[in-house]
Amino acid sequence: MTTFIVRRLLQLPIVLLAISLLIFGMMQFLTPTQRAAAFVKSEQQAQHLDLVIRQYNLDKGFWVQYGTWLKEVVRGNLGYSKTSHEPVLTTIRKRIPISAELALANFFPIMAFGIWMGTMAAIHRDRIIDQIVRVFAVVFWSLPTFVLGIWLLAVLYGHYKLFGIDRAPTDILVAFARGDLKAYTGFITIDGLLNGRWDVVWAGVKHLVMPVLTMTLVASAQIMRVLRSNMLDVLNSDYVRTARAKGLPERVVNLKHARRNAIIPVVTLGGLMFAFLLNGIFFAEVIFNFAGLGQWSVTSAIQLDFPAVIGMALLTGLIVSIANLAVDILYGIVDPRISFQ
Amino acid sequence: MSKGDVLKPKAERWYQSKRFKRFRRNPLAIAGVMILIFFATLAILAPALTADRMGRACLRDLHLGRTEAVTVLRNPLSGAFWRASFAPPKSCYHIPRKGYSPRPKAPSKKYPLGLASGGYDIYYGIVWGARTAFYIGILVVGIVLIIAITVGGLAGLFGGWLDNVLMRLVDIVYSIPSLVLAMVFASIFGRGLAKTMVAIALVAWPIYARMLRGNILLVKSQDYISAAHAVGTGNARLFFKHILPNSIGSVIILASLDIGAIVITASTLAFLGLGADVGYADWGQMISFARSWISNPGGEPLKYWFVWFWPSMAIALFVLGWNLLGDAVRDALDPRS
Repeated sequence: MTTFIVRRLLQLPIVLLAISLLIFGMMQFLTPTQRAAAFVKSEQQAQHLDLVIRQYNLDKGFWVQYGTWLKEVVRGNLGYSKTSHEPVLTTIRKRIPISAELALANFFPIMAFGIWMGTMAAIHRDRIIDQIVRVFAVVFWSLPTFVLGIWLLAVLYGHYKLFGIDRAPTDILVAFARGDLKAYTGFITIDGLLNGRWDVVWAGVKHLVMPVLTMTLVASAQIMRVLRSNMLDVLNSDYVRTARAKGLPERVVNLKHARRNAIIPVVTLGGLMFAFLLNGIFFAEVIFNFAGLGQWSVTSAIQLDFPAVIGMALLTGLIVSIANLAVDILYGIVDPRISFQ
Repeated sequence: MSKGDVLKPKAERWYQSKRFKRFRRNPLAIAGVMILIFFATLAILAPALTADRMGRACLRDLHLGRTEAVTVLRNPLSGAFWRASFAPPKSCYHIPRKGYSPRPKAPSKKYPLGLASGGYDIYYGIVWGARTAFYIGILVVGIVLIIAITVGGLAGLFGGWLDNVLMRLVDIVYSIPSLVLAMVFASIFGRGLAKTMVAIALVAWPIYARMLRGNILLVKSQDYISAAHAVGTGNARLFFKHILPNSIGSVIILASLDIGAIVITASTLAFLGLGADVGYADWGQMISFARSWISNPGGEPLKYWFVWFWPSMAIALFVLGWNLLGDAVRDALDPRS
């Protein structure tokens, strides 16, 4: 198991290298002047683009440019983002807690709701509950995240004045920025708890409701579909029949014998869900105005802020690879039949 | 008994097959088909449906006068009707504007779905947007299939290090969230519908390349391939006549059913401003026109509901149609059910 993990971790840098090569290769479609704009740090430099081009070897061949860039990265310099007006790494560090809070707040409701619905649908196969759940799943799966977000925004926030956009009311964000409230973790809810301010916790939770609702409705549909079909397979299997035959109560058969076995492929999906979650979070942040990584990378992609874009691509590649590794390890724990040879 | 009397098994037509029956009896499948037929009608009849409100450039390119257009474009016996329905000039995809006011105007008799900010006619946008949606979906699936067949075919056919390299490429493209990568491509290529479509195709192909490779490996191990090889069939012929036709079917079906997902990606990009030119009839872009009128415009919530409601409803229904159809086809083809 340890060798397995070590081997997978050793593959990580290769994946990251390949991602950077891919995006760096795409950059070659631009002219050296356009590429230079990505490295400009100030008004002064903007007037001397030729100097920037020479400094970063932007008029040389691909490998020279890539080498120059890579050398900087290895030294821990991912470049300067012109959208956030600070180094890429600083922005990432600042914004990670915001997106992480959103991601964690989303992950558990999605999994729980999806698993619950999938179980209900499978147990009541072809009956009214099953039909309702299936229609529900296909309808919400068909909604783009931003469309559902806009509907909720217009009706719940615009009309009924419920919840709220942004991470918290402005006065709380200002209090954090001024240092009146201490930011220990960067998570609004946890920081509120650590500061002993229940109103802050409550405000943070309230502002999480709409994005979480949006993502849960859209994403749990997929979990539900996979769990339902696995559960149907398992419910037809011999050991479930045996369990029924020996007179175990229906609830025990369904939840202990059937669901535990049906849940294994959902673990894989949980890993994929993480990648999907990142996708969704990007747009939830744009729509609900969270100043997280997603919002930043959307603006930087539109403004061709390449250091930021490459930085984000590397970060998401890293997160998804680690999530996949975690899934593989989890697999072994959930299903003892799997070995890591 | 003469030769002709041999009882031939009655050939089963596709609509008599069990699979089709299973499909036909599924109410959700019928709902999906109905939705898609509705949008297809909207798309094909777009010139006739919007003849009374076409933009000046569009009418000029159709060589029609304003009053003439209404009678000619709604008359299926005229040549112009067919020309406009199947090969409309590009300028017709641009939504005509009534004034330039940033404030949306409520639905009226002339503009049944209202005017979006900038004076864009929402009804025109929805109707021609259906054309754009089909256009995007079908073309992107085409590009995706070309890339997937090339990559998956090479990997499956040659195996070895080439297979390894290509499949790692698939893994890498897979490990970046697709919308983010599409966004990066779209912003590098620049604004424009064709460029966006290439960007979407560039992130959508990996799953089909992998699927095709798997199918090819499966087919390659079959006896009839060894037999064909043993008779001395050349490599190219073996691949194009025996292996590819037998492994590509499911890939094509699944890729074309994915049009819903493709339209989601396209509309999201358009919403962010990375789609067609401003004013092009595209549902995603129409929602982005509505952006500042969504949450609480001037203390009158939901006053401008029509600016975001119609385009978002169109996207949701269109995708729903494809997903219902896709689910039903997958169910019907699934041997377990």
